[in-house]
Amino acid sequence: MRSADTPFVRSAARTDLDLHLRVNGRSHRIRAEARETLLDVLRERLGLFGTKKGCDHGQCGACTVLVDGRRVLSCLTLAAQAEHGAVTTVEGMVEHPVGRLVQAAFVAEDGLQCGYCTPGQIVSATACILEGAATSDEAIREAMSGNLCRCGAYPNIVAAVRSAAAVVERR
Amino acid sequence: MNRLAYLRASSLEEAKQALALPGSIALAGGTTVVDLAKLGAMKPDLLVDIGGLAGLDAVRVDAGRLHIGALARMADVSRNADVLRLAPAIAESIERAASGQIRNMATIGGNILQRTRCAYFRDASTYAACNRRTPGSGCAAIGGVTPNHAILGATDACMATYPGDLAIVLAALDATVHTDMRDVALVDLFAEAGSGRETVLADDEIITAVSVAADAGAARSSYLKLRDRQSYEFAAVSVALAVDLTGNGPQIRVAVGGVATKPWRLPSVEAVLRAGPPTRARIAEAAATAAGDARSTPDNHFKIRLLTRTLERALLTALDLS
Amino acid sequence: MTDPTKRKHGDASDGALHLGSPLARVDGDRKVRGEAAYALDAAPAGLAHGVLVRGTIGAGTVLSVDAASARQSPGVLMVFTPFDTPVLGAPDSFLDGTPGEGPFHVFPASILHWGQAVAAVIAETRQQAETAAALLRIDYAPGDVVPSILSKDAGPGVPVGAVDIDRGDAEAALAGSVFRVEATYETPREYHVPIEPHGAVAWWEGDRLTVREPSQWIDAMARTYAGWFGIPFENVRLISHFVGGGFGSKVTAMTHGAVAALAARELGRPVKVAVTRAQNFTAHGGRAATRQTLRLGADADGRLKAIVQDGESETSVFVPFVEQLNAATSVMYDVPNLRSRQRLVHVNTVTPAHMRAPGKHPSAFGLESAIDELAHLAGIDPVELRLRNEAGFNPQTGQPWSSRRLREALVEGARRFGWKDRPAAPRSMRDADGAFLGWGVAAGLFPALDHFGEAGLRVDADGSIEVLSAGIDMGTGTYTILAQAAADALGVLPGDVTVRLGDSELPSGPLAGNSLLAGVMTGLVHKAAAAMRETIIGLALTEQGSPFRGSELNTLDITRGRIHPTLDEGRAVPIADLLKAIGRDRIERIEDNFPAGTSAQERHRIMTTVAGLRPPDGGVSSVASWCAHFVEVKVDEDFGTVRVRRVVSGFDCGRLYNPHLAASQFRGGIVMGIGQALLEGGRVDPRDGRIVNDNLGDYLIPTNADIPDIEVFSVGEPDFRAAPMGGKPVGEIGIVGVAPAICNAVFHATGQRIRRLPLDIAALLSTN
Repeated sequence: MRSADTPFVRSAARTDLDLHLRVNGRSHRIRAEARETLLDVLRERLGLFGTKKGCDHGQCGACTVLVDGRRVLSCLTLAAQAEHGAVTTVEGMVEHPVGRLVQAAFVAEDGLQCGYCTPGQIVSATACILEGAATSDEAIREAMSGNLCRCGAYPNIVAAVRSAAAVVERR
Repeated sequence: MNRLAYLRASSLEEAKQALALPGSIALAGGTTVVDLAKLGAMKPDLLVDIGGLAGLDAVRVDAGRLHIGALARMADVSRNADVLRLAPAIAESIERAASGQIRNMATIGGNILQRTRCAYFRDASTYAACNRRTPGSGCAAIGGVTPNHAILGATDACMATYPGDLAIVLAALDATVHTDMRDVALVDLFAEAGSGRETVLADDEIITAVSVAADAGAARSSYLKLRDRQSYEFAAVSVALAVDLTGNGPQIRVAVGGVATKPWRLPSVEAVLRAGPPTRARIAEAAATAAGDARSTPDNHFKIRLLTRTLERALLTALDLS
Repeated sequence: MTDPTKRKHGDASDGALHLGSPLARVDGDRKVRGEAAYALDAAPAGLAHGVLVRGTIGAGTVLSVDAASARQSPGVLMVFTPFDTPVLGAPDSFLDGTPGEGPFHVFPASILHWGQAVAAVIAETRQQAETAAALLRIDYAPGDVVPSILSKDAGPGVPVGAVDIDRGDAEAALAGSVFRVEATYETPREYHVPIEPHGAVAWWEGDRLTVREPSQWIDAMARTYAGWFGIPFENVRLISHFVGGGFGSKVTAMTHGAVAALAARELGRPVKVAVTRAQNFTAHGGRAATRQTLRLGADADGRLKAIVQDGESETSVFVPFVEQLNAATSVMYDVPNLRSRQRLVHVNTVTPAHMRAPGKHPSAFGLESAIDELAHLAGIDPVELRLRNEAGFNPQTGQPWSSRRLREALVEGARRFGWKDRPAAPRSMRDADGAFLGWGVAAGLFPALDHFGEAGLRVDADGSIEVLSAGIDMGTGTYTILAQAAADALGVLPGDVTVRLGDSELPSGPLAGNSLLAGVMTGLVHKAAAAMRETIIGLALTEQGSPFRGSELNTLDITRGRIHPTLDEGRAVPIADLLKAIGRDRIERIEDNFPAGTSAQERHRIMTTVAGLRPPDGGVSSVASWCAHFVEVKVDEDFGTVRVRRVVSGFDCGRLYNPHLAASQFRGGIVMGIGQALLEGGRVDPRDGRIVNDNLGDYLIPTNADIPDIEVFSVGEPDFRAAPMGGKPVGEIGIVGVAPAICNAVFHATGQRIRRLPLDIAALLSTN
């Protein structure tokens, strides 16, 4: 801060924050720097290493998590911004009615190889189905294009999302 | 990212107080600010989180205009029934922009204000010369790698491309940007490239909404975006059209992206199109004027041809001549 | 794709139950739940964080580093610069010129390429380290930069010599040919871009070093660490349980690992160094840029008479790395006369590295494009032309092929694709919207190498069965196929087997490279499990307490984990029960494939250096995998945009150990090939040699939307000269030939021949 000469700003602006985060249904109180991203806090402060860092600049999707049910990039979200939302990471997907189906479909269709982009793919695919975007293979491809996979599992990912979406549809 | 302070503003007044401080910058979705702060291309002292401000995220129709709140998320706007009905190109441009995740995060105001992708702008540690970062420091892109750089509006001061999609459509639709202080035409929002300012807005001025006339042209608006990758890439060239067929002869408004330093209207093209019935020959003639003022490098010379062809195709499609 | 799973060829044709069956990936559940622990997911107590600092000149010298402010910055524990970093020891080099030739200067003051690491900062948190790193004041004396092979001052390069070929009299045969084509083909720098960036977490306990780092070759990396820090090999524990993609980029120990281990030693606490995405474009090399001029001559029937090749590949100014441009040219077709020359162009870049199908990919891009040009010139269908030039034996070495079913891949691929309906003339197929369609074909190969190794098998009285190997799984399916191999040989179910990989404390494993690990390890695990089975049966027949002791049976059988008299499963005893009954807690076997009498010292050398790589089949036959790609593209000629609409690819990779996972690898190679064809290329600043697009928004790899349906099928048959269990290389072959197939399809669509990758909008619009 150069000069916090406005009383309100002086009292409210913080470089270190006491944050209350809700992640996978659990409450966490942590102290973090204002500049820390949700991704770094999940991994470095909460020990939730399922969410992955692939680029740290919003260009690969490996860090995708849900905030209030919407898929977002945790590398471009400051932890402070997530304070008022409910965060769901890949670790929470096993409890998620759609996420669980997506996980099973990815294994069945082999929608993964090295597995590093997979947590982001799982979370993103879950949201993609809930958004109603999994209406066709072409729509799935577009909706899943924010999650890069260098092993090239894309055709299998499309098959997995298609199959999980079909199960969701039937229910 | 440099060590910085964070403040969550709970009212417009709080936000303005904080933004009046030197070194502060507004944070909404974060997709531009967090990215650039990590790169060191932006070194704010204070992030003023305006994401929680109430009442700025609505989409509404009022007095014949479609208003979109500055804090509305891109994804919500692209799925909004009024947007789809009254100005479909807005939705189309958002769907083609970024990824599903980013569209869930980024706000309309923030998206309009997104910064250039010029590699020389983004790498502050290697290239001190960047008039966008440091006015008067020069331009490292000259003589560099420039396939993505602008052919319209490029000067010796800056040839960095405005990367957005939505703002191209808004330019074609004569959108108005509403701030807490005034209304500005979208095409007048952006400052001269390399002038040291990105926009004409004051430091503590906050965009509250953007609006477009819900007219016949908006209802028949379209957006054509070309790029190498099928998804998740910025435009090599994009064309936004608003076509009004209700009067005597079509009234067509044209804006282009991916090729210019800011959202770029093409009055010369519009003038040719106004001069007579929209025949294939006239469209070709109009498209041929698009790159009249173009200034290219060997790297981005292909964009001249691409711009002309994309414009021609977009017009033919919009007028059902293809 | 269901084909490999349904085909007779390449499945369990030797009677195996599990190896060859399409078992789901056994580590899949852990990966979809986020439970698979990658290297940087380690968080030992007291962890400190290091960041690397890249130099910002293309060549020259670091004159000074003012680190005063950085050292004062909050949380900073240590700053390394060229002037105050301890010099590390000198491990023997296992690849020419990698760190290890002489003492290792972690941060040399001499700058040889843009982005070279010049300093590191260690702090309590990564953010603090980054803040301090930005405070370093680094003074350079810039030198002259030769940025890339495309630079005017790069010069013609120096001859390689070692890879040159003179077969027959190529110039004379070319002069006498009825049909001749000549063209120059270029590929750019390509990058591995695993989604997991490089990095390491290191800590010391006394003089024992543990490093968690993604690794394609645990033992070789451990050897480098031992050499750097002057400790015995046994004192280095390298752990790499999961590798988030490698593609050739994670074979050697690098600066980031040295810094982590060095800082951990100096600070007496664990240190993590994460390489950023941008740094991954300069911390290690990608595939070298290449350029080759090919001249092909053929007779009136299209039979190749001669190939003359003159190529150049890019390398650094300090290591003569060869991207071998005749890797495919020399063996793909029956060519009696071949002359091949290659030169190295030294420029200011990080040294290139092996990347998925090194040599084979650029070589096939040139050759398979030129073959298509020849087919067009001669008026012969490109599939037919390839069939006419099939090589009955290796034309370069004279060896017989262990197996070569390229003909079957071409014929069956053409049938599945519907190739017979292809009009020969370019510009003769259009989609409903008027855009051009084109069909292209290209073939590929991947020559096999063999390696040595060990496999451990452990059976416990608690019922657990473990396969043990320092070999790794980077998504290739090692965990799964080794469970399958063990299950067959031991007589248990794959689900009963736990496979433990990626730890240097486990039995020595081969390189996960050159697509050789699956062949080596399935053989070794089979051997160990078969030996274990004999051991268990022997104990059952002889040991005090065994229900089978004194039963006068000659042998026993093991089925689904239960020991029983042959043909009598009614009296079955679980293996664990037997162990309890005879009072054994655990039985372990380790088997290897070292030649008899190999000394411990020699074993170490061949397991940690390239000295252990050898031709399969004792060099008697020539072993390679083969493939044929059929591609349909849609080209919008006005825009220069190309969309791959469908791909049909046939593979001869011998027996597939798991057709389900092999199909994933085939498709993955094809996806990367589509990226190479249409999108990928490092862009080098012509002034300082900076890789301008060093991020995933500008170095474009395919997204899901870029990839169509990909049908893959297997024409392979078990090839026991290739590997003990009958398989040939799988992991890399898929990429070979994809780019030329796409360029050939674009030519068929438009009549435009693109000879420089990537085939992007700018490339197509530059010529129309």
